[in-house]
Amino acid sequence: MEKKDILDAGCSMPDARRSRKSRIENQESRIEEVPYGSNCVRLSAREWLIIGIVFSALLYFGPTLWEHIERFEPGPDYRLPYDLSSDYWLHNRYCRWACSPSPSEGRGSRYETLVIGDSVVWGHFVSKDNTLSHHLNKNAGHNQFANLGVDGIHPAALAGLLKYYGRDIKGANVILHFNPLWMSSKKHDLQIDKEFHFNHPKLVPQFIPKIPCYKDSYSRRLSAVVERYVTFLSWTSHLKITYFDSMDLPAWTLEHPYGNPLKAVTLQLPTFEDDGQNERISWKEKGIAKQDFQWVELETSLQWNFFQQSIKMLKARGNTVFVLVGPFNEHLLKGKSIDTYRRMKSEIEAWLRQNNVPYYMPEALPSNLYVDASHPLSEGYAMLAKQLYENESFRSSILCSE
Amino acid sequence: MLFHTWPFVLFFLIVYPTYLAVKGTRLRLPWLLAASYFFYACFNPLYLILIAYSTLLDYTVVAIMEKGRRRKMWLSISIVNNLALLSFFKYGGFVTENLNVLLSSLGIPYAIPAPGIFLPVGLSFYIFQSMSYTIDYYRGNIERERSLIRYATFVSLFPRLLMGPIERARNLLPQLHKRPGISKQDITDGLSLFIVGFFKKVALADYLALYVDKVYNAPGQYQSPALMLATFLFCWQIYFDFSGYTDMARGVARMMGFRLMLNFNNPYLATGLGDFWSRWHISLSSWFKDYVYIPLGGNRKGTFNTYKNMFLTMVISGLWHGAAWTFVIWGAMHALGRFVTRELERTSFYKERVPKLVKQLLVFIFVTFTWIFFRAESISDAWIIITRIFSSGLANPYCPLLALTLIFSVWLYQFAYESRVKWLLELRPVRIGIVVLMVLYLAFFAPSSEQPFIYLQF
Repeated sequence: MEKKDILDAGCSMPDARRSRKSRIENQESRIEEVPYGSNCVRLSAREWLIIGIVFSALLYFGPTLWEHIERFEPGPDYRLPYDLSSDYWLHNRYCRWACSPSPSEGRGSRYETLVIGDSVVWGHFVSKDNTLSHHLNKNAGHNQFANLGVDGIHPAALAGLLKYYGRDIKGANVILHFNPLWMSSKKHDLQIDKEFHFNHPKLVPQFIPKIPCYKDSYSRRLSAVVERYVTFLSWTSHLKITYFDSMDLPAWTLEHPYGNPLKAVTLQLPTFEDDGQNERISWKEKGIAKQDFQWVELETSLQWNFFQQSIKMLKARGNTVFVLVGPFNEHLLKGKSIDTYRRMKSEIEAWLRQNNVPYYMPEALPSNLYVDASHPLSEGYAMLAKQLYENESFRSSILCSE
Repeated sequence: MLFHTWPFVLFFLIVYPTYLAVKGTRLRLPWLLAASYFFYACFNPLYLILIAYSTLLDYTVVAIMEKGRRRKMWLSISIVNNLALLSFFKYGGFVTENLNVLLSSLGIPYAIPAPGIFLPVGLSFYIFQSMSYTIDYYRGNIERERSLIRYATFVSLFPRLLMGPIERARNLLPQLHKRPGISKQDITDGLSLFIVGFFKKVALADYLALYVDKVYNAPGQYQSPALMLATFLFCWQIYFDFSGYTDMARGVARMMGFRLMLNFNNPYLATGLGDFWSRWHISLSSWFKDYVYIPLGGNRKGTFNTYKNMFLTMVISGLWHGAAWTFVIWGAMHALGRFVTRELERTSFYKERVPKLVKQLLVFIFVTFTWIFFRAESISDAWIIITRIFSSGLANPYCPLLALTLIFSVWLYQFAYESRVKWLLELRPVRIGIVVLMVLYLAFFAPSSEQPFIYLQF
């Protein structure tokens, strides 16, 4: 290795006497003189092929093998833990599990009916044994309804979740919940132009159709798109979310500088049994004031548009889709917003009827059974489940199709 | 659109197959130029005006010089124009700030408004490359490039546009002249270079940045061990960041049939400061040697003038890195380091008795110390860091062991590479094993954030 000071090496002016021609003739040979690098990592085509095979095997078999290593046995009333809401790989695994044949009971699938929606279905203010699916199961007398709700998901993200991570939901009964709260303002409807952080941005359309308030970098958007199609990437996200507190390894080691990252991978999925606060206080007792929501028009609503896409997608996959709208806390509305809401409700109803989608659009529950604008207390869920069981459309589309 | 992001993958997936298809036709250079300009416009379409201006100016100046009239004047026009461009965008804020300090100290109640201009990415690199062409032509080292498209491609070639290497016309222009015969080896070599660079940037530099940024953003809150470790980590962060970029640039270029110069050659194994600068940012160091140090007189006019020239070259080099006094001090410190090691290397005791490892460690410690000025936000921050390193307590630094393990693994590899056991690293299972480990690490543990390259700001 040469150890010359670069300023000492060849420090005289270029030899003016040397002919220009000879200098230029030397140019071709200089190209070959460029050293390769400063390490020995230089593989041949055959060696790259070996790397390609190893990596392809990992890409293809890694996530599948992992399912055999990491145990996933959801019990009755299981719901994805709140902290794992963004773990779409696990959601996909849960969908497949719920739709797979039950080894012991010999039925077609573990759960005949999947209840899909946002935090209202998930049961944000109630424990897992007070959710809508729990009360429906109670009415059915057996575990027929699986809680596939995802806390914080909105129709635009739900459409993405079903499209890319819910491909295994085929030929099932689906109760698809629509929460009108997502149309209660232009901001909820993602229509405003000003950028703001909303839930599950990885699931919304990254480029087309354009969501005005979504202005993430092209790089991150492309990354989100790639993750949807490369299971390996959503699986590594699962590892980060589940075992590294939703951080990547570098960030995790900053929090645990002397920790062994391998020890963090316990192979035990967190259960979060205490998820859900089992709230007992109604919105009035909490002191929430009446609101004058600025509802968006159904025709122009992005969220409603995405909800329609979800219905069509599920139906196209051979599912029986039953739509549950609300029940929204109408007691909380004031002024013109009540009338606007009712008009919107009737427009939704008209669309569902026109498209032959069975639905139930219940009247608002008693005021004291709401925690806020859309989440019922556990008694509210029980009442809603009972109402559903008494609903003719529900009985004929969901219960009779078993 | 940086090499380690998805948009670049998409860009390259479109550009590369098309390039392979047209490489034997007349469309090769227009396609390369269009791709390079598109690549640059992705940062800001207005930047195209600057690069087109600089390109046209130097192309025209050399065309006029060829006619043999007032060659020196035209060279001066080119140099002044290029430096004016660089000064306006890079040093406008720095000059204004210092003038305002001067005005204030003179009691003049007037402040010159700050220009509020952002430095266009890559400006310092392509301006230097373009200047080298005109100077080399003036000196008679190269022929005039007659094709404007070829010359524009030489200035803007996208793999090296943002952060170099600062190529010389005598190396790159001939490669643009001949039709590239891209061999299988070129593609696999390119991939090998790229994967190493990608690992350096994403797995190492961006990782180390997390700790370095935390400590350097609030140096007053940390004690000696944390400050020392953050400085040590920054020393490696900047190396991994910049050499990672260069490796990726060389890899991409190699896949396209171009051989860009080696820019980093295990600099932290240097045994002297001069040796360090022949291993660190080689394209810039040799640029300063050829176009600043030698024209100043080089080492031809006695010891005093040699050191004076060295000092000036290093200070200018410091200022090239950034418009702040911290960079000037950094350059000056390196100049002093060079004086000392140059003199030491002339003594037989240092040359023959001092073990190589001791020399390497001394140089490493010195270089690491100077990085404090390079990284600190201001001179006062640098001073806080230095004083706290030597005077504060010994609180637990909470520095990730994994980061240190990775650094020492790389260091060990480099020592082995330059030792008698290099053959061990050349064994097929070792080479494949290293790439598998890098790919696995990247696949599972790469940070999700995409940090820009440090040298983009220069």
